[in-house]
Formats: sequence, C-alpha cells, structure tokens
Amino acid sequence: MSKISRGIEMEGTVVECLRNATFQVELGNGHKVLAHISGKIRKNYIKILPFDRVLVEMSPYDLTRGRIVYRYRN
Amino acid sequence: MYPQPEPRITRTAERQWQALDDDRLVGDAEAWRRRDGRLFLAVDSWHDAAFAPLVNAMLSALPSPLHTIVDASDAHLNSLWEQAGFTPRRREGEYVVPTDVDVLRPPSGVTILPFGAAEPGPLEALDRAVRAEVAAGIGWQEMPAEVLPRHDDSTEPVPPPPVDPSRYAVAVEAGQYVGLIRVAPVPRQPRIGLVAVRAGQQRRGIARALLGHVLESLHRSGVPRATAEISETNAAAAALFRHFGAQRVATNLELVRH
Repeated sequence: MSKISRGIEMEGTVVECLRNATFQVELGNGHKVLAHISGKIRKNYIKILPFDRVLVEMSPYDLTRGRIVYRYRN
Repeated sequence: MYPQPEPRITRTAERQWQALDDDRLVGDAEAWRRRDGRLFLAVDSWHDAAFAPLVNAMLSALPSPLHTIVDASDAHLNSLWEQAGFTPRRREGEYVVPTDVDVLRPPSGVTILPFGAAEPGPLEALDRAVRAEVAAGIGWQEMPAEVLPRHDDSTEPVPPPPVDPSRYAVAVEAGQYVGLIRVAPVPRQPRIGLVAVRAGQQRRGIARALLGHVLESLHRSGVPRATAEISETNAAAAALFRHFGAQRVATNLELVRH
C-alpha cells in the first residue's frame, strides 16, 4: 500500500489580515505566503489576528500559498 | 493556474473523506453534528477539481439538510458551495468593539450586578425567558455559543448547559432580573455572546448600560477589545454596538442545502 503524501507544514506569524478571508503569514524561514483558514479553524470559530503564531500547510501546487490549520496559544 | 487533475475520493472515517491525486492528498472534507442536531460540512481542497467530488461524496452519504459556514468575502468559495446547491440561510457580521468607553449610568431604579454576583436560579429563569421572547432573526437560537460540538449522533437538540453566573452581568430592578449580558472569557479578545432585556423593559437604555458596564470592566482588566457576532437582520443590536465604536471586520455566511 502506498503512503499518502501530505502538504508541508510550517510555523509562521500572521503579518496582515487581507481581503477575501486571506492572511499574509511570515514563515520561520522568512518567506511570506498567502494563506486562508482551514475548515476546521472556521468550524471552531477560532479568530486569526495579526501577530498570531500559526501552523500553515503549504499548497503542493504553489509554495507561495497555504492554509492555516492551527493557531498556537500565545 | 493550478493543474486540475481528476482526484480519487476515499472515505476514511464515518464523516471524513479525502481527495487523492495519485498518492498526493489534494483535499479533505469533514462533517460534524452541532449541539442543536444540525450537520455541518467543511471542505479544504487545493484545487476546484477536488472540491465538487468531495462535496458530492458527502451529499450522497449524509442526510439533508446540510450546512456550512463561509466567509462572505470569499466569493470563489461561496460560488463553489452554490454550485453544489447550497443557499444562504443566515448572514452574520463580526464586530470588534473597543473597551475604552465612557461609563454609563443605568436608568433610574436599575442596578447592574457584576460578573459572578447573580443568583443562579433567577439568572437561569431570566435566560430562559429572554430566549423565549427574543426573535432577532433566523438562526438566533443556534448562535455559535449555543452550538458546541456534540459527541452523540442524535438529531434532537440538546438543552443548553446550565448558566454560569461568572460569565454574566445582570440588570436588576425592584429585585427582579430584567436584563443580562454574557461574555465568553476568551483571553485575548473576549466574545460578547448575548445581550438581552425582558420585553417589557426595552428601550430604556438597560442594554446600553449592560454593555457599557462590561466594556468598562474589561478595560479595567487590561483587555483593549472584545468581539461579537450580530445577525444582519438585527439592526438594534448592530446600533447598540456601533454606539460604542464597534467596527465590522468580517461577515460569516451560513449556507444550507435541503
């Protein structure tokens, strides 16, 4: 049975809340990506604000995009 | 443009699905039942070709009606849900309100009991009474604070949990509880979940005094802002929050497919 390949996950900090429910997130390596929030975050009514530390799953098709899958407790 | 290969959909658990492109995970979906018995869906996909098959897999496996929540400003995601037959049911503004406000006196004869000072019995009776009286819009009974996840599979609504006086400030007149405000103690940005006044006591400034009291208390505790979600049909609540400088920062859209 083959192993499923999941997207790369990276920690980052929310720099800015943008329009269309997207956020600019600066990753630990200094790169900035555009990220939207995952269904699980929305489901739990978790608010994402500037300076939040988050876990971003990177798109397998475009490494400048991702989705926020977790918000760390500051 | 992303490449959009046809994904393979697999059901990985009772209410979880995955979309695979070869062996790469390109989308996943989940359904969960809320406290009020309704089923909600969430889909995360990396391209549109994975979205519709995931939704279709859930539609064929789950009973109607099905719901989902989206950010109203996300036009693309909204259109994907609409293509799957979902239509708007409730639209809710997300507000941020500063806590640095002028202290307001309650109307003559009314006093405000601070958090934790209300008696549980009369508070619970007031909570039940205002819920029965208030009809602020479709879905009011199913506000987020009332719809914590449940762990059984019943479609029957479960009763709300017992009221916790530490989360309520209460307006009292002649010994009677006439209004309340509930605050969820989210550390960095508390959420004001409910402001309500008995039907016969409205339009006297009691709700404004309750909200002012809470904001001022939060400010004294070092909390600069609070949040609230307000249905677009509830003009009175929006006006109340705007009086204190609340700004609308987002709009949540609840969609349903019957």
